[in-house]
Amino acid sequence: MSRPLLEVANLRVAYGAGWRRVEAVRGVSFEIARGRCLGVVGESGSGKSTLARAILALEDRVSGRIEFAGQDVLALDRAAKRAFRRRAQMVFQDPLGSLNPRVQAGAALAEVLRVHGLAGTRAEAARQTADWLETVGLDPAYAGRFPHELSGGQRQRVNLARALCVGAEFLVADGPVSSLDVSVQAQILNLLKSLQETRGITWMLIGHDLAVMRHMADEVLVMKAGEVVERGPAADVLARPLQAYTRELLDAAPDVARALDRRAAAAASLELNRGPVPEQDVPA
Amino acid sequence: MLTAAGLGVGFLPEPGRRVAVVEGVDLCLRAGRTTALVGESGCGKSVTAAALGGLLPRGLARDRGEIRWANGIPCRPGRGLAYVFQDPGECLDPVFTIGSQIRETLPPEERGQARARMAALLRTVGFAEPERVLASYPHQLSGGMQQRAMLAMALASRPRVLVADEPTTALDVTVQAKILRLLADLQRLENLAVLLITHNLGVVAEIADEVHVMYAGRTVESGPVELLRNPRHPYVRGLLQALPQLAGSAERLAGIEGSVPSPGRRPAGCRFHPRCAEARALCREKEPELRSCAAGHAVACWACAEGGWA
Ligand SMILES: Nc1ncnc2c1ncn2[C@@H]1O[C@H](COP(=O)(O)OP(=O)(O)OP(=O)(O)O)[C@@H](O)[C@H]1O
Ligand SMILES: Nc1ncnc2c1ncn2[C@@H]1O[C@H](COP(=O)(O)OP(=O)(O)OP(=O)(O)O)[C@@H](O)[C@H]1O
Ligand SMILES: [Mg+2]
Ligand SMILES: [Mg+2]
Repeated sequence: MSRPLLEVANLRVAYGAGWRRVEAVRGVSFEIARGRCLGVVGESGSGKSTLARAILALEDRVSGRIEFAGQDVLALDRAAKRAFRRRAQMVFQDPLGSLNPRVQAGAALAEVLRVHGLAGTRAEAARQTADWLETVGLDPAYAGRFPHELSGGQRQRVNLARALCVGAEFLVADGPVSSLDVSVQAQILNLLKSLQETRGITWMLIGHDLAVMRHMADEVLVMKAGEVVERGPAADVLARPLQAYTRELLDAAPDVARALDRRAAAAASLELNRGPVPEQDVPA
Repeated sequence: MLTAAGLGVGFLPEPGRRVAVVEGVDLCLRAGRTTALVGESGCGKSVTAAALGGLLPRGLARDRGEIRWANGIPCRPGRGLAYVFQDPGECLDPVFTIGSQIRETLPPEERGQARARMAALLRTVGFAEPERVLASYPHQLSGGMQQRAMLAMALASRPRVLVADEPTTALDVTVQAKILRLLADLQRLENLAVLLITHNLGVVAEIADEVHVMYAGRTVESGPVELLRNPRHPYVRGLLQALPQLAGSAERLAGIEGSVPSPGRRPAGCRFHPRCAEARALCREKEPELRSCAAGHAVACWACAEGGWA
């Protein structure tokens, strides 16, 4: 067994100083093996995004240890940091905001390819761009579209292609599908999974939807107030949680079959039959 | 409580041209009950809801059908309805305190004891310290608190119908569950008719009594919430199959190929046919009407007609 791609030990991240100081991440440790998906869940403000930014070397006041492919992330010099940021990236954050509205999808990809010296000629860039669009499930004809001419799911795909084309191998997706329709969400989740399988992409998936986590994640990390409350294989943690907090999250997750069963049982036990509700006065 | 029959909303880009956005929607909102309006983005949920309260943006007009209260009196725009939206920013003004904003929506005869009534409202939506919230500005409250403050504001006008458009989409699951429970309690206590708009079918199953599924401006299936156990319309089945399951699901999720056509580009025949695996020649030619298929349950699909294909 090789070393994990990412190892995090006793990570702490603070914001503010003096009496304003908040420790948003308080001693978090975990690892992700290459080609696996780690799901991070927990209530709003529990430090999930802060944790992600710290791992990607986007936060300053960090202590502890982050090792990516054997490299100490907290000790990278400028050049090494640039290389690291190609391999480890954040995707899906506000896909409209992160795409330049005046640049067509294809041109945006060609631009990053050139900046990183990955395509020598214009023709080479165009060819690679078409390939990447196809990889993320977009017809290359979409290269000519501006961001506002793309649907939410299509923008997500362009963003993903942009990260992949410079050689990303570790991707952090913070709330990737929360704003999408379930039909589009299913397509994007399928895409993430196939990239994991066919290209060995390693994922850190952050979100609130536990059913999505159950479907996507190999392991989950449950966070509360900056700390890890529970961690383990997704199939265990989300089926047989050991911590009360995890159970609370699971109970709060809306689920069609479970909700209908619960309500049918409640109605049966109460023999609840409201009958016709009396109509009230209506406004004149 | 409130019924809308044959509701149609048109987009009127220039005189003499009309593009149908919402077509022939019938809704019946009952006191003490929650009706959920679901469907993918762009199906016309928000436009339908706005049409009920006469809140359509410029360029859109409700020019078909009618909206009446239970006693037969036509519904006058804005009376008896209150709205809650996904983004509290749309309702809450950042430069005024919560208190001064709720005061604005109180009926004139209650402005006398405004303070007491506002405190009571905030307690109803679960604030233990109403005075502190009244004096707060929106940014001093978390997302869930803002959402509850907005609910209090909506209730201040003593509406009979509460329209909640994606009220919990931006919230985390624990806060979402709290808000949903609150909505259900209010609906019962105040005997409100609630119209809940959401694309989360789990949320629908949790609190709705009736579901109304829209596709491309039309109702494709409606009935008691239990229909989600075994929906008839291929579109509704597709929406359910696309959902990952808490209990674990297959390797690949079944999405629905393609996307919702925009108004003006809706295909002839059944408007879902280009995305439907079961479509046949008839579906491409003729639009199916919404037909009753069981008590209170109606579906618009040729394949769902009595005894198989019509
Ligand atoms: N730039 C910042 N300055 C000061 N405090 C911050 C900053 N960013 C985050 N925080 C605080 O750190 C804590 C963790 O925030 P974080 O954004 O990581 O939470 P989260 O788990 O991602 O929440 P959500 O699910 O809402 O996205 C919160 O208390 C937040 O208020
Ligand atoms: N002001 C407007 N002028 C013209 N067309 C509009 C206007 N507002 C909405 N539409 C169109 O009406 C259709 C229905 O929009 P609506 O906002 O009701 O969708 P929705 O079902 O609420 O979707 P979502 O889940 O994204 O909120 C869309 O195709 C939209 O483009
Ligand atoms: Mg976050
Ligand atoms: Mg809407």
